[in-house]
Amino acid sequence: MKWLDALIQGVLLGGMYAQYALGMALMFGVMRLVNIAHGDLVVLLALIGISASVAFGIGPLPLVLILVPLAALIGWSLQKFVLNKVVGADSLPSLIATFGLSIALQNLMLEIWSADTRSMRGGGIESASIDIGGIYIGLLPVLILVAATLLTGGLDLTMHRTRFGRALRAAAADTEAAAMTGVNPRVVYAYATAIAVGILGLSGVFFALRATVSPADGPAQLIYAFEAVIIGGMGSIWGGFVGSMVLGIAQAIGFRIDPGFGTLAGHLVFLTVLATRPQGLMSRG
Amino acid sequence: MTTANIAFPAQAGTANPDVTVIRHTGSSRVAAAVCIVLLIAMISMPWWGQSGHIRWVVEFSVYLAIAQMWNLLAGYAGLVSVGQQAFVGVAGYTMFVLASNFGINPFLAVWLSVLVPGLLALPTYALLHRLDGPYFAIGTWVVAEAVKLIVLNIGYVNAGSGMTLRVMSQYTLHQREVGIIWLCASMLLVTVGGSYWLLRSRHGLALTAMRDNPVAAESQGVNVRRLRFLIFVAAAMGTGLAGSIYYMAQLRITPAAGFNPSWANVCIFIVMVGGVGTIEGVLVGALIYFVADRFFAQYGAVYMVVLGLMTLLTALYARQGIWGLISSRIHIPLFPVGRKLITPSHSKTGGTP
Repeated sequence: MKWLDALIQGVLLGGMYAQYALGMALMFGVMRLVNIAHGDLVVLLALIGISASVAFGIGPLPLVLILVPLAALIGWSLQKFVLNKVVGADSLPSLIATFGLSIALQNLMLEIWSADTRSMRGGGIESASIDIGGIYIGLLPVLILVAATLLTGGLDLTMHRTRFGRALRAAAADTEAAAMTGVNPRVVYAYATAIAVGILGLSGVFFALRATVSPADGPAQLIYAFEAVIIGGMGSIWGGFVGSMVLGIAQAIGFRIDPGFGTLAGHLVFLTVLATRPQGLMSRG
Repeated sequence: MTTANIAFPAQAGTANPDVTVIRHTGSSRVAAAVCIVLLIAMISMPWWGQSGHIRWVVEFSVYLAIAQMWNLLAGYAGLVSVGQQAFVGVAGYTMFVLASNFGINPFLAVWLSVLVPGLLALPTYALLHRLDGPYFAIGTWVVAEAVKLIVLNIGYVNAGSGMTLRVMSQYTLHQREVGIIWLCASMLLVTVGGSYWLLRSRHGLALTAMRDNPVAAESQGVNVRRLRFLIFVAAAMGTGLAGSIYYMAQLRITPAAGFNPSWANVCIFIVMVGGVGTIEGVLVGALIYFVADRFFAQYGAVYMVVLGLMTLLTALYARQGIWGLISSRIHIPLFPVGRKLITPSHSKTGGTP
């Protein structure tokens, strides 16, 4: 029962990571670029959400409606004014640019919100749970998992069924050939990052409702997203989702064994996958 | 293994036997002389300098060494690591364990401790080298975090509360200062001097070729994979040496400090803002970082915001860093690693910049 509970909690935890992993996989797939500030953006959006909910007394749902467009705008501007200047075959400039941005953001948040941990009140939703045969399942984690599933499915459909998705895949496969057929890669990139960060607007609210947030939490979220993507397999949208579940389960079981072992268990599973199946679990071949 | 088989321009030019190869300039001779004077000043410092200033020199030397190691990685091997703190931490801990628990002379333990980051680098590279550039970088970070969490769970090294180097109390302050400053001087000779020697040697041509275009270098017979692996291991050991010396001077190490990602910040800021791919750039970057840290660290978060933004702006607008901006205006190489060909009819530049 203890282990079944860990398994369920792990899958639910994975729902959170899946949302971070989605944006990371999208940006890497399209631009071969990793935004090191990805986790810091989740934290920034979560902190903005918490402050807004306190200042204006608004609930989680209206907050999502405000934060998602704001996040998408942040993502679009980030790509247009920063990342489009450093995207290219050499990965050093983009890594350094986003690394610098990450340091600046973390410390800016520290200056504004101090090192205190905060969390958001959601009018009871954060503590509501269902009792299924002795296992308590939180309503919020289930919502997070459902949202992650819908987002992953939605992005998968967008990539394969829409004109925009075709442009994204074209820009990813061959930038110059895509440009010749009338796809402006830089415009496509800006939309891709807008989606990747836009998702974080939703994740930010979930993060703030589910756990406590402090300005230094970003790097851990980045690392979880990265591990999920690699475990699942690069180049597959559902890969990141599966990887998130595996990571979530590994951490939840690790925490049950020893509270100091949870995060480490996730890292060890990641390293094991890298050693034994470097192409990822979901990848063919 | 195919060896890097590169014909030296001077040897290739048998049709024109009057060609001479220039490897030094006026500015580089002055720089070499200044370096020797500074090194002598440094090793004699315990007899004339204040303790506070000796600590500054130790700190500056450590920054210089780990930044130069990162420069070899990112600037030449194309391996961007944000997990160098793994090597700082394990070397520091190894030195503490060897000196405190095994009774080995701490000044000898510093050198022995370098083996462990070298050993850690082997599986790290074996696991991560398959990952594409940006993912390799984050992978190194995960390894550093995993090692930190493992150390946090080891009771033998006092888990989260860290270790203290009590054995140092058997030495007087003066003895400690002599030992540490001489270690620092040797470390700079090995890391910075060693890099300079390596880059000026025949292997330097292979490294520079790899920096400029790995695919073309491979086609010229440079074994890029092997070279990258060797640089990763060497950089891990050099970084570890700096870490051991730093924590010997601190007399105390904790997992939070030894494996702090801010070690990666230091490397990245110094190399990128100073100028990647050059020794001069690392020197400029280390000076800026050291001075900024002395005067502005009291402003805490705001200071780090500025450092972060400077790193971002360098990546956007000045990829070659401050030294790149300087050397594009005036040609005063301090540590030239290239070869300049002088022919009797007309002088032309050759080799590598």
